Amino acid sequence: MVKRYAATCTHVGNQNIMAEGFKTADPLEYHKSFLKENCRPDGRELDEFRTTTLNIGPISTAEGSALVKIGNTTVMCGIKAELAVPPSDTPDKGYIVPNVDMPPLCASKVRSGPPEEQAQAASQFIADIIETSEIIRKEDLCIEKEKLCWVLYCDIMCLDYDGNLLDTCIVALLAALKNTQLPKVTINKETDLPEVDLLKKCSISVNRHPVGSSFAVFDNTITIVDPTADEESLATAVMTLVIDEEGRLCSLHKPGGTALSGEKLQDCMGRAVTRHREISKLVDKILESIKK
Amino acid sequence: MDLSVHGVSPATREFGCEQNLLSRPDGSASFIQGNTSVLAGVYGPAEVKVSKEIYDRATLEVVMQPKIGLPGVRERAREQCVRETCEAALLSTLHPRSSLTLILQEVHDDGSLLACCLNAACMALMDAGLPMSCLFCGITCVIDTDGQIITDPTLQQEKESRALMTFAIDSTDKRVLMSSTKGSISIQELQEAIALSQKASHRIFEFYRGSVSRRYSKTLK
Amino acid sequence: MPVDRRRIRGPDESQSPYHFISKESQKCLASGDRRSDDSQRGPLDIRPIFARCGLNSQAKGSAYIEAGNTKIICSVYGPRETERKDETDMKSGRLVADMRFAPFACHKRGAWVQGNEEKDLSLGLLESLRPGVCLHKYPRSQIDVCVMVLESDGPALSHAVTCASLALADAGIEMYDMVLGCTVRHTGTTQLLDPTFSEVQDDQDGVFVENQGSVTLSLMPNMNQVSGLQSDGVMEQESLKAAVQACIEGCYKLYPVIQHTLLKTVRKNAPPSEN
Repeated sequence: MVKRYAATCTHVGNQNIMAEGFKTADPLEYHKSFLKENCRPDGRELDEFRTTTLNIGPISTAEGSALVKIGNTTVMCGIKAELAVPPSDTPDKGYIVPNVDMPPLCASKVRSGPPEEQAQAASQFIADIIETSEIIRKEDLCIEKEKLCWVLYCDIMCLDYDGNLLDTCIVALLAALKNTQLPKVTINKETDLPEVDLLKKCSISVNRHPVGSSFAVFDNTITIVDPTADEESLATAVMTLVIDEEGRLCSLHKPGGTALSGEKLQDCMGRAVTRHREISKLVDKILESIKK
Repeated sequence: MDLSVHGVSPATREFGCEQNLLSRPDGSASFIQGNTSVLAGVYGPAEVKVSKEIYDRATLEVVMQPKIGLPGVRERAREQCVRETCEAALLSTLHPRSSLTLILQEVHDDGSLLACCLNAACMALMDAGLPMSCLFCGITCVIDTDGQIITDPTLQQEKESRALMTFAIDSTDKRVLMSSTKGSISIQELQEAIALSQKASHRIFEFYRGSVSRRYSKTLK
Repeated sequence: MPVDRRRIRGPDESQSPYHFISKESQKCLASGDRRSDDSQRGPLDIRPIFARCGLNSQAKGSAYIEAGNTKIICSVYGPRETERKDETDMKSGRLVADMRFAPFACHKRGAWVQGNEEKDLSLGLLESLRPGVCLHKYPRSQIDVCVMVLESDGPALSHAVTCASLALADAGIEMYDMVLGCTVRHTGTTQLLDPTFSEVQDDQDGVFVENQGSVTLSLMPNMNQVSGLQSDGVMEQESLKAAVQACIEGCYKLYPVIQHTLLKTVRKNAPPSEN
């Protein structure tokens, strides 16, 4: 079919239209014809991430914020801190409440209303990572035992969805937490009410730096890194590996799909380790630049 | 990987399964692992809502009901894992433009709940007579504070562990279909856990076979 | 009280630290200068605007607008099939507007669920935009306008209107004219155009102030027609007249920036000329 198209099309413009038509008529075949040649429709190599850009602290009303773009996918994370009484079972700990939302503006398939399964599963995924990898020690959020602690609401909002939501969310969360400044709080002995001093602010210590790498699998054989929305919908399986700075695995999230062999998993781990290095470098660079 | 080197055998709790115990659904099963118990029901293939219709395959919906209260975000995340695992095993292209609904009711959670859900789901799909390319089973492993890997843990063992992993393994190649992990794991530990789960999967598939042949032995005679 | 089961919940009760600001630091917050955000700005000047089109890859058209600290993003989807078949209009299309604040957009954390205020603003946005769109050209279809306020510093509706009409234009939706929005804050004898959060906040100490209110106006500049007008507070007739006039002037100040943005977008998207 492709050959016939090529033969009939003489104009470059026409060819583009034909390629568009091919993509619409049989998207899977269209993608596979690229993958056969070890490249992808957007010109990337199979193990190449899209350009990642980072903007730390764009929102002044939030205690910490970050805007992350991986290719077209755009995610904004804003952190709001509020005061609450510590949970009764762990009186020396604070709260971290992460939520991922995909509002109707991020993709045409999303309708208004409560978050759909994908957003809810992403929220749970981020919550699990925060809890198990201890990005922030919850003890650090306690102001006075049994009386007062911080609640960090980490609201992650997808503004443009073009695949690979999880990786983007993790980078956004990490960067926003690194940017977070909490005001100094003391408890007034007489009134027993907290007093907030907005002039004295301090950052919170970020213990671990998990970085995610997502992969899409085509027919058990080809794995590609950082899939776009089109690639995600056509792939037979997607997988997200989250790795911390010591090279330990924080999460291997593969919600079903076709199987993946051990060797392929090894390759993916290797890619995830280099990705961790790239992202840490980027975050450090941007943080350095905003300090100046 | 040879397991005798590590000196651990993939210990599992007592399994129990009953198929076709509900009259309303097209397929049903209960699965018991120790004290953990899950009830599953499958409806379909049936008519599908136009908005959810997929032109070349069946639409699978998974609903998970906790023992107490209403389903929340955690259930939604588990539903996604079970659904995508079932989608990989089911030959859903044989029933285009139709709906399949899988309902999982938690009866009691004493650890390895997600694994038990997967097992119950597989037995229920089998009971419904839906065409599948392979069977699958779920196995949970935890790494305790001494670095020992325990398969099919109880709730107590889950709480005391430092890492928890749940895998779904297919019956043909014994490869990992689904993986969901919590806690920090080294690559070495992950590989050991996968190898152990693959060993344990043999036992589960044998149990599947035994359970189904017992059921049909009466009718086939 | 029903609990939101589709989101991860925090503690039952938590309070914003802004309720407990100590006296000393409170003083530093409230500065005497009325145009605190920009000393260069006169009372009838709008904030400098930054606007861009086509940021969202998934939407038919999109726009981003930044005025001072206010940051708004808007996507337009459609024309597409109507969601609700029973409301399909054979003669005219349906415009749907949805305006939301991100939870971190204001000083006090907002809820995820759309509140009454957001619903009112959505309606205001819809009614301001509708006269500008040639809806009869899109029978039996629906055009969705989704606005997200990422950061709010002062009344957001006027900027949302401007942003949404830019996004509609970027989506190639046929329109009679652009719709531009502007807000004025009137207190006593002073009028402040395009007020910031602190400028609106100052007077709301619960004390009733004579002749005080805000006016938000949407204007179609080429036709010189007003498509939306919202006023709250108590104002004398003369002050209201003056406020409306100030808003219209504000919109005309805004117009060249918006024109420039659109021109730039069209040039970028235009196919290279074939010779």
